[in-house]
Amino acid sequence: MAESSSPGMKREDPDRNSKMSAVVVVHGGAWAIPDQLAEASVDGVKAAACEGSSVLKRGGSALDAVEAAVRALEDNPAFNAGHGATLNADGEVELDAIIMDGRTLASGAVSSVKNIANPVSLARAVMEKTAHVMLTSRGANLFAESIGVVTVPPDTLLTEYEKKEWEKHKTYVTGVDEDFNTQWAHDTVGAVAVDRAGNVACATSTGGIRNKMVGRVGDSPVIGAGGYADNLSGAVSCTGHGESILKVTLARLILSHVERGKSVADSSQLSLQYMADRVRGAGGSIVVSPSGQWAATFTTDRMAWAAVDQDVLCSLPAPRGQWAIRRLLT
Amino acid sequence: MLPVVVVHGGAGHIPKERSELSTSGVTSAVRAGYAVLRGGGSSMDAVVEAVTYLENNPAFNAGCGSVLNVKGDVEMDAFVMEGKTLGSGAVSAVRNIANPIQLARLVMDKTSHLCLTAEGAKQFARSMGVPEVPQESLITEYSRMRWRKNLAPDANPVECQMGKMGTVGAVAVDSQGNVACATSTGGILNKMEGRVGDTPCIGCGGYADNMVGAVSTTGHGEAIMKVVLAKHILYQMEQGQSVEAASDLGLACMKFRAAGLGGVITVDPQGHWAARFSSRQMAWAAAQKDTLHYGLYEGENFTQSIDVQH
Repeated sequence: MAESSSPGMKREDPDRNSKMSAVVVVHGGAWAIPDQLAEASVDGVKAAACEGSSVLKRGGSALDAVEAAVRALEDNPAFNAGHGATLNADGEVELDAIIMDGRTLASGAVSSVKNIANPVSLARAVMEKTAHVMLTSRGANLFAESIGVVTVPPDTLLTEYEKKEWEKHKTYVTGVDEDFNTQWAHDTVGAVAVDRAGNVACATSTGGIRNKMVGRVGDSPVIGAGGYADNLSGAVSCTGHGESILKVTLARLILSHVERGKSVADSSQLSLQYMADRVRGAGGSIVVSPSGQWAATFTTDRMAWAAVDQDVLCSLPAPRGQWAIRRLLT
Repeated sequence: MLPVVVVHGGAGHIPKERSELSTSGVTSAVRAGYAVLRGGGSSMDAVVEAVTYLENNPAFNAGCGSVLNVKGDVEMDAFVMEGKTLGSGAVSAVRNIANPIQLARLVMDKTSHLCLTAEGAKQFARSMGVPEVPQESLITEYSRMRWRKNLAPDANPVECQMGKMGTVGAVAVDSQGNVACATSTGGILNKMEGRVGDTPCIGCGGYADNMVGAVSTTGHGEAIMKVVLAKHILYQMEQGQSVEAASDLGLACMKFRAAGLGGVITVDPQGHWAARFSSRQMAWAAAQKDTLHYGLYEGENFTQSIDVQH
């Protein structure tokens, strides 16, 4: 049964709905976040949501807001994206990211890039500076060089924690299913936003699954799976068991329900339940609609998430079930 | 109505001198796929067989005959999906492999992942004993000529490509009612190194679901991705649209929201099928009830009895 948080939909305030309110929602991964990481995870998503919110308050676009929020999460070693990303079978960091603009359906993605500190920004450059939607591997790195994006030494993105986890997992073969269902799997980060103009955007970034095969591409950079944004329905960013998210094209599935008139919360719950039933996969999603409705939903034990909606910071800190809502000091 | 297999050899503007090659290519491929189905093979076996034929045929932009990237190299994408379990396999930007569609199937059957890219895909191929082929064996004079022509600064590769060669694909339903799809491509003419199009992106280049149907797409890859075309069509079918209407709605969405042209082949689990395109032409062929259907230009639907080799 999916757990959903969607205060935005419970309010029935016609005045509110007629104003274009800016909202940003972020997630830091859906998995059994252990207690010792919970505080860092919650602090991290709250800080990222505030980053995104500052952009929106300055009149920035939803696209700028999601990029800023995801960059903050990539820079934070507590999350499996950019700095702190999990290692592949060869002990290296390979990163995936996507960004999408709901206004034009423009999108940019990178898969399997190395030595880039902020893959979400590289994805944005693919969108804005090339005629393509997705670049992979060496080609993506060559593009980064051509536009002057700094290549960081491989060690910069490694953390002691991830190195230890990789060592631990090297000694036995873990299938992807098993790995995801242990409490040791880290996960993806993402953000969705709607700005004052009513434009929506999404962004997702990850190091992928621990000990993945070299060159494994998960859901994160795949349009319609790891994320999707369309001004006609909303923006979504997903996290969880990548192969399952891909099989049900989760982001696009959620919005197909929204298009048929369901609420963002119901759409998320139905879709995550379908993913559980059809392909036995668990995960989470954040969704925002062009009118400012939003939801954070997950079928894993925990998901680190935070939202800023009309100057109110909302988040669900681990352990599960406890709310924290506080008014932001402006 | 079952079994049925449909193949396409790319949507675009196929010049008259190449139309014969395109038509004979897709009809041969569909015969091969149909023979598998008639022999009791699965829809997955049939689509992989048909696409393998097209990859081996130098007249198509897949495997041998693939377009070249801006550096003059061949980087290929491929995708398979089966509708019973939603199992899927894909490779992107893979080099030196004669049949990327078979490698995609190996990703599905032999790994716990859905997609491998570039070097990783190649390493996996090696580990599976898939032979590495010299790049030259995949390059034709035609593709080299088109590459050279599009190096000119005022060239327009998208438009040029919509002109000549496209992605290949197949969809099928077997006697058990299982659907499957397969799509393979060399990508867009003179693409940037590492460019990945719609083909290996699940929901874009193809999708298969026993509850709804299967689709394989071709055309302007970036536009297909923006509207997640294969999934778009299947959502329409879930809402009660026919295979033709759903395909046309998907292509219209792609044209109006993403300014792109293309083509699709679509099948539902009962065996209704459609081959639709918004580009000028699409080489396609279908086999059902021992009858071969094929066409190239809008409105064409030639039929003849199929020769089934027993």
